Amino acid sequence: MKGRLTINRRRVINYLRKYWSLYVMLSIPIAYFIIFRYIPMTYIQIAFKRYSIVQSPWEMPWAGDNGFEYFIKAFRNLDFLYALRNTLLLNFLDLIMGFPAPIILALLLNELAFPRFKRLTQSVAYLPHFLSWIIIAGLAKQLFAPTSGLINIFLNRLGFQSIPFLNDPTHWVFTYVFLGIWRNVGWNTIIYLAALTNINPELYEASAIDGANRWQNIWYITLPGLRPTIFTLLILSLGNILSSEFDRPYALSNPLVNSVSNVISIFVYRYGIRGLQFSLTTAVGLFQSVVCVIFLVAANALAKRFGERGIW
Amino acid sequence: MRKRLFVVLCLSLLVLASSVLAFAADPGFVNGRFTTTRKITVEVYDRSNPGGSTPEDNFWTDFIKKGMLEKYNVEVEFKPVPRWTEVEVINNLLAAGDAPDVCVTYSYPTIQTYANMGGVLDLAPYLEEYREYLPNLFDLLGETNIYWNQDPNTGTVWAIEALLFQNKKINTFVREDWLKKLGLEEPRTMEEFENMLRAFRDNAELLLGPDADKMIPFSLSFDVGWRADHVIMSYVPNDMSDRDMWVYGFDDRHLLWPNYKEGVRKLNQWYNEGLIWKDFPLYGAGDRTEDNLIKAGYVGSFIHNWDYPYRDGQEGIHAQLRNMVGEDAAFIAVECFPNDAGIYRKYLSAPVDRKVFFPATNKEPLASLLYLDFISSLEVRRFLQIGEEGVHHIVHEDGAVEMLPVVGEKIMNSPANIDYTITINGLDLGDPVLTARSIALNYAGVEAKYIERAYQITSNEARYGINVQVGEIKAQEGMDTALAEKRNNLLAQAIVAKPEDFDTVWDRGFNDYLRSGGQAIIDERAQKYDAMYGN
Repeated sequence: MKGRLTINRRRVINYLRKYWSLYVMLSIPIAYFIIFRYIPMTYIQIAFKRYSIVQSPWEMPWAGDNGFEYFIKAFRNLDFLYALRNTLLLNFLDLIMGFPAPIILALLLNELAFPRFKRLTQSVAYLPHFLSWIIIAGLAKQLFAPTSGLINIFLNRLGFQSIPFLNDPTHWVFTYVFLGIWRNVGWNTIIYLAALTNINPELYEASAIDGANRWQNIWYITLPGLRPTIFTLLILSLGNILSSEFDRPYALSNPLVNSVSNVISIFVYRYGIRGLQFSLTTAVGLFQSVVCVIFLVAANALAKRFGERGIW
Repeated sequence: MRKRLFVVLCLSLLVLASSVLAFAADPGFVNGRFTTTRKITVEVYDRSNPGGSTPEDNFWTDFIKKGMLEKYNVEVEFKPVPRWTEVEVINNLLAAGDAPDVCVTYSYPTIQTYANMGGVLDLAPYLEEYREYLPNLFDLLGETNIYWNQDPNTGTVWAIEALLFQNKKINTFVREDWLKKLGLEEPRTMEEFENMLRAFRDNAELLLGPDADKMIPFSLSFDVGWRADHVIMSYVPNDMSDRDMWVYGFDDRHLLWPNYKEGVRKLNQWYNEGLIWKDFPLYGAGDRTEDNLIKAGYVGSFIHNWDYPYRDGQEGIHAQLRNMVGEDAAFIAVECFPNDAGIYRKYLSAPVDRKVFFPATNKEPLASLLYLDFISSLEVRRFLQIGEEGVHHIVHEDGAVEMLPVVGEKIMNSPANIDYTITINGLDLGDPVLTARSIALNYAGVEAKYIERAYQITSNEARYGINVQVGEIKAQEGMDTALAEKRNNLLAQAIVAKPEDFDTVWDRGFNDYLRSGGQAIIDERAQKYDAMYGN
């Protein structure tokens, strides 16, 4: 018994001696997560307390209704309910239109025969990703404004009415989704293109011998090859269904489309940072995170049931 | 026993003395000067003017820094805050504990919200303690402005109100040369103004030639309440009581005043007739798109700050319009919206302007108050407002001061440097006659006749706001910006609605405004007003 322990200990010491550098390297990201992710989480309690700028969160008095005062207040606030609806709506549209787009583009790129043209197309498609939303919003006004926008000027010259891309709520939603796809589609193909290189070329050679056409190649080899990647990314996006970007809706929004552009992040900015209601908006943020976690776990469980690997 | 008693007595005396001393004058302040150098930071608005200088480091800041160091041994550092998003930015700075020692904002509710969390210094004890060192501040602002915000119940003073020396707000401007070209008289009534707008629209070919499709008879921005104020206010009944004016007056664009809706209906009608710039809601605060359209000569009329087209010298609307369109192109101020009593009523604020406050992070309240005193002395603010003779201005024979266009490092980023003279808004040379005469000469490159007229009619037949202090309105806390945004959305949506949908859109937005906190504020204000002043 004792002998085994000493052997084990010696093994551990040997192991550590051999791999200590890896653990040292690992300690840096762990420290990062503790300092910048877990310690700030202690401030979540602000959601259950009456916030004061001069007190530490530990000293702040508890909020009413067993600490849930601000959650109740949020759900009674019409703006929050609109923001909740809009966040779900915009994210859902983003998902059903934005999710397949990079897969299709990746398949198209994969079918290109000239490597040089393929590389050029890829680079051009990546570029918008590096533009900030502020710049894109500026471009959008130049292009889509009802009287001074390039596209509408062109339409007017041809004798058509202006299309209210930015100033009518329904049109705005599609402009919003379209600009999102335009910006991110190229960038999001990267992961699919990487997955495509992992598909065994022998499968294609075999299918060529069997006389399969291109369409059959895509349907029976490429897409099944991409399946695990697609599922992983889908689970991750479902986990984001209630998260909301700030700069995209904020930069593209204007007073006419507020009924659809007001999302949770804008609500938090308006009431929390501008209105200094930190407890209320922390409560909203916490609610948002909890829902996101639930979606993530559920999507993962579902994926496993369908025989996929899931993300953990 | 005796010895012990003595010790106890001594100790209690010490405690007593130290508790008194805790608020005694700063011990490092001897004969009106600090013995060791103190440091304070001061907020300054950043307007990002084309051709402007760095607001926190330029000719004027050097002058103030030098003066403060010599006079009080205080080092001053300026912190720029963007002018057009100042409330958001100062909020962020306060929340981060990074706000300058001397802060300035137009939003009192922001200060109040912050004060409730213990984030703002109560100035009342400091003003009392140091009053003898602040003669210039008290001379300039008087007890009225200094104690304007004093809470009637608790006695706290969270902020000092700067003096609005020329109580001027906005004007309606029209293109003088277009009126001449079309043989139109200056409009004097709503109907004449409307007909003028229609004439602009219908004669676009004549007025703009190949750019006819760019014609904008009346231009507006997302901030409809400000930019259409004269039109809308002409629908407010002349006999509105002081109580109503105050109780329903918390929105700074007066959305809740009686009959406001009818004014907006008029704008809706104009919009649907093609008289208003179609793209107005798309551009946010600080965007220069509209200014550029005005400078390019496509805009026939607009409502804005009383001297707006005459500001900014060579870069301003007046000069640029002449460069782009021709020598006779100019905007002229007109008065054309009488109310139900036939009066050209202008609703002006009380003589208060920006609010100066010290955040709780301020460790140098005395040095900060001395700063306010320093910039309030006539000599200093005179220099800040008119600069050097021969460089910034020339003095006429009658003593009137005419400003010169300045470019380069000595440029003023704001008219009469209001961003540095944070205790006063408006030129004050110490002599009212001289001041009035000088203001007309005060706009480099603009003929005096334009200014004189704008200056006169902007406050013609005005009704001024009154000071009502009933203590804090709790329902208003933290709601201001959210409600202001709702108001802007409501106004923009109501204007662009189809005429038959106007009532639906208005009622929906207005009810949402009331339900989202507006009604609660009205109720609390009414109740507190009646308790304090009787109904």
